[in-house]
Amino acid sequence: MTTYLQTDSRTELLLRISIVWRGIFALLAAGGAISLWTGTLLPAAPLWQKVLVTAALVIASIFSAIGAVLISRRNHGGRMISLTLDYLSFVICAVLALNTGEVFVGIDALAETFTSGIPYLGIVLLGYFLGVMDEYFPQKKQDAETSLKAASRWVMLGGFVLFLFQVGALKGILYFLGKLTQPIGIASVIGMIIFAFSLWLIGQAKTAEALHVKTNHEQILSGWLFLSPNLLGFLIFFAGPLVLSFYFSFTDSDAINTPNWIGFANYAKILNIQFAFLSSPTQLAKEVVDIKIYDEVGRFVIGNSGILFAAADKFFWIALRNTLTFVLFAVPLSVIPALVLSNVLNSKLPGMKFFRSLYFMPSIAAVVGISLVWQWLYNATIGYINYFITLGIEFWNNLFNLAIIDPKIQWVSDEKTALFAVVFIAAWQTMGFNTVLFLAGLQNIPGELYEAATVDGAGAWDKFWAITLPMLAPTTFYVVSTTTIQAMQVFEQVFILMNPPEGPNNSTITLVLYLYRSGFQNFEQGYASAIAWVLFIVIFGLTLVQFQRQRKSSIYES
Amino acid sequence: MKKNLLFKAISLLVIASFALAACGAPAPAATEAPAATDAPAATEAPAMTEAPAAATEAPAAGDVTLRWRTRPDNQEEIDVYSKISTELDTELDGVTLTYEPGGTEGANYQDQLRSEVAAGTAPDVFWIPGTDVADFATRGLILNAADLAAKTDGFNVDDFYAGPMAHLTYNPEGAKSGADSGALWGLPRDVSTFALYLNMDLINEAGAPDPRELAKEGKWDWAAFLDVAKKTRALGTDIYGYGASAWWGPNGVWINSAGGNFFNADRTACALNTPEALEGLTFQKSLYADNDVAVPYGEDPEPVFRAGNVAMFQNGRWATPGVRTVEFEWDVVELPNGPSGTAGNWLFWGAYVINAKTEHPAEAWALVQALTTAKTQGEIAALGANIPSRVSQEALDAFVTFSPPANNQAFLNGIAADSNPTAEGPLWAGSWPEFDKVTGPAVQGVLTGATTVEAFGATICDEADKVFTK
Repeated sequence: MTTYLQTDSRTELLLRISIVWRGIFALLAAGGAISLWTGTLLPAAPLWQKVLVTAALVIASIFSAIGAVLISRRNHGGRMISLTLDYLSFVICAVLALNTGEVFVGIDALAETFTSGIPYLGIVLLGYFLGVMDEYFPQKKQDAETSLKAASRWVMLGGFVLFLFQVGALKGILYFLGKLTQPIGIASVIGMIIFAFSLWLIGQAKTAEALHVKTNHEQILSGWLFLSPNLLGFLIFFAGPLVLSFYFSFTDSDAINTPNWIGFANYAKILNIQFAFLSSPTQLAKEVVDIKIYDEVGRFVIGNSGILFAAADKFFWIALRNTLTFVLFAVPLSVIPALVLSNVLNSKLPGMKFFRSLYFMPSIAAVVGISLVWQWLYNATIGYINYFITLGIEFWNNLFNLAIIDPKIQWVSDEKTALFAVVFIAAWQTMGFNTVLFLAGLQNIPGELYEAATVDGAGAWDKFWAITLPMLAPTTFYVVSTTTIQAMQVFEQVFILMNPPEGPNNSTITLVLYLYRSGFQNFEQGYASAIAWVLFIVIFGLTLVQFQRQRKSSIYES
Repeated sequence: MKKNLLFKAISLLVIASFALAACGAPAPAATEAPAATDAPAATEAPAMTEAPAAATEAPAAGDVTLRWRTRPDNQEEIDVYSKISTELDTELDGVTLTYEPGGTEGANYQDQLRSEVAAGTAPDVFWIPGTDVADFATRGLILNAADLAAKTDGFNVDDFYAGPMAHLTYNPEGAKSGADSGALWGLPRDVSTFALYLNMDLINEAGAPDPRELAKEGKWDWAAFLDVAKKTRALGTDIYGYGASAWWGPNGVWINSAGGNFFNADRTACALNTPEALEGLTFQKSLYADNDVAVPYGEDPEPVFRAGNVAMFQNGRWATPGVRTVEFEWDVVELPNGPSGTAGNWLFWGAYVINAKTEHPAEAWALVQALTTAKTQGEIAALGANIPSRVSQEALDAFVTFSPPANNQAFLNGIAADSNPTAEGPLWAGSWPEFDKVTGPAVQGVLTGATTVEAFGATICDEADKVFTK
């Protein structure tokens, strides 16, 4: 038998309002879901949006109805549901209102006018300094101190108002309010008021008491509330696009028109490959595969015959090959020198802090700037790298009367070297960061181990091999995993350094570059999404293998 | 009380001094754009001074704000476009203009624009290269301004070069071009063509004949070109006879000049495997391999030329502002004639188009016209970066005075009807970016020695023809 605490009439009224509100909310949400499919609400929305909004409305409707029942039974679960639904609805209305008022576009506009207001921010700063000057006043001059504080406040306030005026904030506010007068803006504001009222109503201490809310319930709610900005950000800006891209990978989306569901067609195109035997190494691809579907990706020559590898989308397979080649070279070149360097920098020689900072600098430098600098260095005709190679060769030729031919390496315009030019930049840039990680790992290794090894007569190499490396295994695993994932996503260096980014004979086209090109240059967002998911599977597979190997080999696990 | 007053007075004084300092800040650079030093003032350009008439549909009441964008190549162009925007703002009634220079080192102009078009935040009027027109038009991203143009007094498509207008008036529904096709996708911002920028110091030092004289005598052909290139290349291992960037433009010149083409006559299939196209490619390859006179393919030849190490640098009019800073004696000459009897040059162009989602199509159309008047084009052409897209003798006469180079006529010869330039254009029956994606690396493979011309000819169209089904 359920027993109810005695509640005062006001609380009773608030609870009844809450129950009624939950019922109305449930009906409105259900009505909204139905009207989506009768064409009243969002008639032009694509299918995926309708499905998504319907699911959200149905869930909200069901939970709201449950909430009404629970509140009527004086169960704290009703309050929890009510607060969650109203809070989320309030956030949605607030975002809608901000969007209707074009606040997000306005932030861009503010960025353009912000600099003109900086002098006025100087006034605010000056006001602040006026305020802190009171510390220098003798105790007896209280009046002067008070006046100075007042002046400080006025200066800061005046400066801030002038700043807002200068950057056009006043115009912006008026524009925002003007835009809010649209029906959707008014509806959003009304929604915000209603949900805020409902939150206040159910959030009352007496209401909580009437619903048997305990301290731990409040703590749970507070925890979720504090987590909600991050959680909502994660759901909207990470999980949401992730799910959306998965959906798009099954459509022919071009990012502009309503996408059509095409099932696994995108994946089928990516994975549509064929191998064919060649009767001679030079036999044309069109003689062994249907050239209307397949293009030659490569051929393996075995004596006087060979095997042809053809694919419906040869660029994907070339990009995959290039990406894996890049990983194969970039990861060891980013990790092994970092390991060596960290051991050197871990010594207590003078100036080590300076060198630690120095090696870290490439990691924090802008990729675009770095790539442009390297573009100059790599120039085959007037670049510094070839210039120094030429000087070196001339030096040796003159010194020993040799006839070494200057190779004049075409770093970025020769398909044999282009990818390695990118590998080198990436390794150079990542090495400093990895060095810092290894340094942190090295400093966690107990010194006693080395002392014991020294007593046992171990040399420097033995200590490194038998102590440092095994003890660094978790760090090494982390460094290798993250560097591999990063290398699989190589894009910026290639995009800026190479012209065109695909490089000579497609030698630097990588998977991310290819999906970027498909999605943003060729308007094939659906296909680009499918490439992204295949890339995810490849990265996931590689990481899984690394995890398993780590478990087998780690001294910590054993 | 007195102290309070004193501090309030100080407060006001501080605020006022900062406010005055802020108000006295220099005006944005855009309003201070310097005139090109030795070019005629923009107002001396051929006159079409009056602002174009808006379509007879009445503009919306009150000021409407239009955003417009074009791709500038340097800060000087940004300054000129900003100045033009300010001028047109006052000329166009009821319209407030916002100019947005597009593209940075890290954000390609077209990629950024495409993203904004997809997001619905693209400007009302924007520039796109000629090769993108079909893609944008068939996807419904740009407005067909034919109806607006029909209602505009004095507008005539024949005022612009025929090549670009054939593409800009192409109606895919009836497969027809021209003033009565029912389609008008925009108006060309400017035109350009290739020429050879000459380092006369190197040519004189090598004792090679002056290409400008050879051109005047009608003797400027592939053999004469190769002769000059070889003689200058012999000056040193770091001196090159010829240089060109790695893209379809320079490749196409040699193919066109040999009588070939990228496409068949109605641009519905690949024609890169024809004997003429392969002859052009063979000659181009010889510049990089057999004769070894060229800056290695794929290396940017512009800094090498500007460093004084290239005798003949093939580029468009857009390279002129940069070349004007070099310290050696330089000039330009038209491209050499090939076996077809012509230089096989391109007529490059890009167009101002109207966003299909603009809320103010009539005003946007008025802006597009205003941006392509002879006066506006004259102001931009004075910088030296391009050639006005209006067919007007006055415009051409003015262009010749925008020197250096002394031999501006070389550019005009390149776009003259006698030279039969091929207008850069989109593929209405296929995808130009896809075609370029397939053929560009394949041509590069030939020019860098990774594949032979024969192997290229045997396979290229099998692969490239697929883009015409898309």
